[in-house]
Amino acid sequence: MSIPLTVITGFLGSGKTTLLKRLLADQDLSDTAVLINEFGEVGLDHLLVEDLAPDTVLLPNGCVCCSIRGDLKAALLNLEVRQRRGELPVLRRVLLETTGLADPAPILATLAKDANLRGHFHLGQMITLVDAEHAALQQRLHPEWLAQVAAADHLLISKDDRVDATVLAQVQERLSRINGGAPVQLARTLSGADPLLRSQGPRGEAIASELARWTLFQPVDAHHHAEAQVCCLSFDAPLDWLTFGVWLSMLLRCHGERILRVKGILEVINSEHPIVIHGVQHCLHAPVHLACWPAGPRTSRLVFIVRGVDTGLLRRSFAAFLGQPRVAA
Amino acid sequence: MCGLCGLLGEDIHWSDPLSAELPRRRERLQRITAINRVLAPFRLNVCDFQGSAYLVQGPTGRQELASGLDELWRKAHAIIGRPLDPLDPRLLQHLEAAS
Repeated sequence: MSIPLTVITGFLGSGKTTLLKRLLADQDLSDTAVLINEFGEVGLDHLLVEDLAPDTVLLPNGCVCCSIRGDLKAALLNLEVRQRRGELPVLRRVLLETTGLADPAPILATLAKDANLRGHFHLGQMITLVDAEHAALQQRLHPEWLAQVAAADHLLISKDDRVDATVLAQVQERLSRINGGAPVQLARTLSGADPLLRSQGPRGEAIASELARWTLFQPVDAHHHAEAQVCCLSFDAPLDWLTFGVWLSMLLRCHGERILRVKGILEVINSEHPIVIHGVQHCLHAPVHLACWPAGPRTSRLVFIVRGVDTGLLRRSFAAFLGQPRVAA
Repeated sequence: MCGLCGLLGEDIHWSDPLSAELPRRRERLQRITAINRVLAPFRLNVCDFQGSAYLVQGPTGRQELASGLDELWRKAHAIIGRPLDPLDPRLLQHLEAAS
C-alpha cells in the first residue's frame, strides 16, 4: 500500500518544529514516521523532536531544494525496508519537515519521478506555515516564501497571538489572493487527529471539495498581487490530451520556475472520467482519474499561479495550441 | 512492453496516453505529429527512433536523440541555441495562422 507523504514547509522561523512537536505528542500520530531536513552543520530540529518520536530521521547536510533529493529517497526507502522487516510498526503516513529555505518542487519531483519510490509513497498534502507577524516582510524579501505559499494545498497561520485582528485579516487576505484554492487555518487549531494529516492528497476523497473551492475561486484585482498573478482558464469542449501534454510540458520546461502552481480538472476526448492535474514548478503529479464529475457545471478548468509570466500570452498560447478558452474573472 | 508493436517504451511521464485504446506505435505517431506542428516554425523536425526515443533534427543537419518530452525540449534548445517558448508570439502567430 502506498503511504502518503505530508510535507510541512514554511519560511525560517514560521513554527514548523513547534507545530510538529505539539502534533507528535498526540497519540493519533503514533503510526507516523517523521523526516526532518535541517539546514546547517548541526541539525537542531532533530534534537527537539527526538524525545517524542524515536523514529525521526534527519536528512543531513542542507536544503531539500538543492542537494538532498537522494537523501530523501534513501530515507524513504529505508523506512519502507524497516517496515517490511518488521522493525517498524505499520506506517500510515510520513511527515516531512523541510528547511525554511526549501523549494517544494524537488520534493514532488523526487516522489513523482523516482521508479523505486513510486508505488511505495505518494504526496499527501503540502502544508505551508505562514508567520503572521512577518508575512509581509518575508513576501517582499524572500522569493522562497511565495513559492511555498503558492505550492500549498493547505495554509496554516502561526504566531497569530503576536498580531492584532487587523493584521491577521490582512495576512488572510494576502494568502487568499495568492492561493485562493487552499484553505487557511490557524496553526494552533490543528490537532493530531485532524483529517488534514490523514489526507491522501489528490488520490483521496477530499479532492471533490477541493475542486469545488477552485470553481468558486475567482481572482480579484485583475489578478495582480505583488509578484504573484493568478490565471484561470475555463473551457467547455473536451481537450486533446496529447496536444495538452505537448503544450504544458513545453511551458513547464521553459517557464517552470515562474509557474509556482498549476492545477486543474479536465474533460478529455475519449475519456469518460474527469482528469485532475496538480503541479509545482517544473514537476507535475501523475494525472488522477476521478470516478465522476463533482456537483456543478461540467466545465474544464485550469488555475495557474505565476510570477513574472504574461497571463495574456498564456491564454493566447493555450488557445493557439488547443482552442479558445473562456477566461474566468 | 507493448505486445502488439513489440515496443519497450519510454520512461513514464505524466503526459503519456491516459488509456490504452490505441496501439502504442500509433499513439506515438500521433504525439510526434502534434510535436512537429509546434516545432515547424523553429525549423526543427522530430521522428520516431526505434519506438523508444525521438530523433530531433535541426536546420543544419544536427541531430540529437531524446528520451521523453522533457529531454526533447532540452535537446531542441541545444540545437537552436535558445529555449522553445510556447509563449513566443512568432510561434503563436504561426499556430493561429495554421488553424
